[in-house]
Amino acid sequence: MDGIETRDVVVIGGGPAGLAAALGAKRAGAEDVLLIEREKRLGGILNQCIHDGFGLFLYGESITGPEYAERLAEEAVREGIRMETGAMVLDLAPDRLLRVNARSGYRLIQASTVVLAMGCRERTREMIEIPGTRPAGIFTAGSAQNLVNLQNVRVGNEAVILGSGDIGLIMARRLTFEGIAVKGVFEIMPWTNGLERNVRQCLIDFGIPLELSTTVVEVKGRDRVESVVVAAVDGDLKPVRGSEREVRCDTLLLSVGLIPENELSKRAGVELSALTGGALVDETLMTSVPGIFSCGNVLHIHDVADFASHEGFEAGAFAARFARDELPAAGKVRVTPGVNIRYCLPQSLRPGTAGAELNFRVTRPLRGCRVTATGRSSGKVYFRKKYGRLLPSELQKIRIRPAVDEDIEVACHE
Amino acid sequence: MSDASPADRMTCILCPVGCELEVRRSGRGLDVQGHQCEKGIGFATEEVLYPKRNLATSVPVQGSETRLVSVRLSDRVPREMIFPVLREIARLRPAAPVRRGQVLIADVLGTGVDVIATRTVE
Amino acid sequence: MSNYDVIVIGGGVIGCAVLRELSRYRLRLLLVEKEADLAEGISKANSGVIHGGFNVPPGSLKARTNVAGLRKIYGLASELHVPHRKTGKLVIALTDGERPRLEELKKQGDRSGTPGLEIVGAPEIRKIEPLARGRWALYSPHTGIISPYEFTIALAECALRNGARVLLEARVVSVEFRSGLFYLATPVGTFAAPRVVNSAGLFADEVARLAGVENYRIFPYRGEYLITDKDPGFRLGLPLYPVPPIDDPGLGIHITPTMEGNVLLGPSAEHVEAKTDTASTRTVMGQLKDEAGRLMPELRDAPFIHSYSGVRPKLVGPGGREKFRDFVIEESSVRPGWINLMGIESPGLTSAPAIAEMTAGIIGQGVDLKPKADFDAGLPASPRFAALGDGERAARVESNSDWGEMVCRCEHVTRAEVAAALRNPFGTRTMDAVKRRTRCGMGRCQGGFCTPRIVEILQEEGMPLDRITKRGGGSRLFYGRIKG
Repeated sequence: MDGIETRDVVVIGGGPAGLAAALGAKRAGAEDVLLIEREKRLGGILNQCIHDGFGLFLYGESITGPEYAERLAEEAVREGIRMETGAMVLDLAPDRLLRVNARSGYRLIQASTVVLAMGCRERTREMIEIPGTRPAGIFTAGSAQNLVNLQNVRVGNEAVILGSGDIGLIMARRLTFEGIAVKGVFEIMPWTNGLERNVRQCLIDFGIPLELSTTVVEVKGRDRVESVVVAAVDGDLKPVRGSEREVRCDTLLLSVGLIPENELSKRAGVELSALTGGALVDETLMTSVPGIFSCGNVLHIHDVADFASHEGFEAGAFAARFARDELPAAGKVRVTPGVNIRYCLPQSLRPGTAGAELNFRVTRPLRGCRVTATGRSSGKVYFRKKYGRLLPSELQKIRIRPAVDEDIEVACHE
Repeated sequence: MSDASPADRMTCILCPVGCELEVRRSGRGLDVQGHQCEKGIGFATEEVLYPKRNLATSVPVQGSETRLVSVRLSDRVPREMIFPVLREIARLRPAAPVRRGQVLIADVLGTGVDVIATRTVE
Repeated sequence: MSNYDVIVIGGGVIGCAVLRELSRYRLRLLLVEKEADLAEGISKANSGVIHGGFNVPPGSLKARTNVAGLRKIYGLASELHVPHRKTGKLVIALTDGERPRLEELKKQGDRSGTPGLEIVGAPEIRKIEPLARGRWALYSPHTGIISPYEFTIALAECALRNGARVLLEARVVSVEFRSGLFYLATPVGTFAAPRVVNSAGLFADEVARLAGVENYRIFPYRGEYLITDKDPGFRLGLPLYPVPPIDDPGLGIHITPTMEGNVLLGPSAEHVEAKTDTASTRTVMGQLKDEAGRLMPELRDAPFIHSYSGVRPKLVGPGGREKFRDFVIEESSVRPGWINLMGIESPGLTSAPAIAEMTAGIIGQGVDLKPKADFDAGLPASPRFAALGDGERAARVESNSDWGEMVCRCEHVTRAEVAAALRNPFGTRTMDAVKRRTRCGMGRCQGGFCTPRIVEILQEEGMPLDRITKRGGGSRLFYGRIKG
């Protein structure tokens, strides 16, 4: 093995966040930017999201995932950013030493800064502990989407979908388009997780039943799925005895949650938030490890790719500044979630930061509510806004105009 | 005879306000509630009476079973055209290379809408 | 009609150990396995523990073969390059009242010849394993862990290199005895031999009935397991067992580390109706976490990534008066030449090398066993990419770029390893066969990422899409193409 290569900014991941981070770094003046993507193509998960709805903010029109990815990748090529596909980062150390494997060779890279943009993975059947047998025919929705959209594979004939998040809804429509019957979409919560527009255009349009407060309690079938047993759940999300019924199917698609993929981050010693599954960051999107930044789905699960890209542009720009020693270390004030807030991000700010942009999600659908950001020692109200309706599935953004120099709490009162 | 009919509920997506609309059939027309501007009425009326949809699917490149071109429509079509349009698209086997944005079927089934490739395949 | 000297029925750890042992001698050997791969029965679904031998009655075959196997298995695993480790084990008594039970176990072990057993108190327990809590413990320093399916496959590969033959998807459907030969009919041919070893695991009773030999009945007892992520937030160094309850048909619920760093909880033990009932149940999954949580509170919130079940072949049923039945390792008196290896539940894995030698001994009574001069006792090492250092990794990728293409992101498995797995000498190409040989699909995403990639590779290696199965038979993954 030869000597160790050095880079100013290494971006791990070439999806909507990573491509944007590389562009953000380049545009902020970083010369030596390298983007590393493990697939053979750039674009990340966008390549299999062939439906439209992307680009409304970034490009001012509604386009499909592959189009969005290609356009962003073309910008990166035009701006001369060095990018490697088919290369996977196997290890990241706290001092930003990377171990990278690719067909062209295995090597070590020493980066001044790293932007984490690895995206997320899907929650599995085993993680939600669905009892029963282990036959062929159980797929996570994203895995099935890859097989259908990128490999032209017919994953089954009759499917049941667990989870009403957008991926599940989109796949319900996709399967229906291709002549695979969808017997129903089952959602454990009393509300649907996906966009209302998707419920309409993916389920109602095709007469696919949506059952809320229902879950799959057993899988049956020895070699291939033969049926699933569904049951209603109570207020504690526990199955109600006696409500079970069997639904015949040969395929079960699981759309039961996305998990930021922070394996590399953990190896680098990055502190993670139990609320988001992603790194704890400050307003520059820097993690607890100096010089390591995070953006996109690996930081927190997004519902709009454009926002993941927005975060990427920011993280890249800050990474470039850090590489030039332009981001002085500072203390921090904490931003914590209060009542009805599931999480807010960033979780800390440099004291005195004005105009900070915060993201948050509520814990449940709320109507006629008021969001506030309040100082924890002074009680000062830094932000207040009324909302007609807030949904957990919609990431919210607010801007805290006054300079913040104490810990603040974001809350939502009905 | 009661004139209260079940309401169709939908969120208008024309602007970030996202008014929650309620649409009822009343007499000879539609009664739309919940909008904050006129555009909401048009949105709701269209959705109930003449719903339109875009669609996306993929087709194999000529000579391959696994190299796919993803496609969408250049604009929405009447909802009842979804499956007829999908059937037309299913017959496509475009020859590589295909450029993003390339029109694969112009004016599909007389709808005035094109089927376009959404990725580049070399 | 092919003639062999010995045919082994069943490709689990016992059958494969017997095959390897017999391949030392100049014998024409065949192993027939009904599933699409080896180790598809209980050999893949157990705790992977190398037992000390103190858990079974002294003087029994179980005890004798356990202790004899213990002496051989570490050397054998090293020769075959199967991942294993002598971790030691603690049997924990949470109260003073349970200590006499530990003393009983120690006495049992001492009588059977288990080396190194000692009773230790709380400070010793903490030194041996900081995560273990207990008042007293029986420490067995020679207990260990091993990958049971990798061991099974390695045993068979070694036998193959020494001239044995293995046929998969070769279920024995009938047995006839004519002119001193057993004729075994399978879907892939009929094979004849004067000696047959029946190591068909759960189905050994049914196979014995086909042969018209002694009547046995096997009662299936399912054991469910939960397995944590490789990095559950703590590092467990050795298996922890609670004091075995006296009236339990199992061993009590154990906490066992794997070679990779996962933690196994289980097994449970319940009688099931069907031998193939490997379902996981909500009740038991909850019980496993509760009971294990008592021994190790860290487990209550550990991230679990998978559950599985193994079914034990017990010779005592739920209504049986006796609680204990020994291994059956004997030549049939009804049909000499037919050897039954029946009821091989725990400690079968550890006992396998000794059972294999005993079986060879039984065969040797009627046949002059001539050792091969060129018997190759081991296997070449083939370390996983993930286990190599930087320099070695770089060298591999440079020599073959397939080592540079990542297929499994959770377990860091490369295309070169997947390709090698698909070239295995048994000709099995199921998804589970790849999984067992490479670890693809065993990580936290449970195949979500690698499945589409393995599907691509399988097709590139010539496998038609519709023939791709999870584990053979009807477990197909797909139903053709969507278009075209």
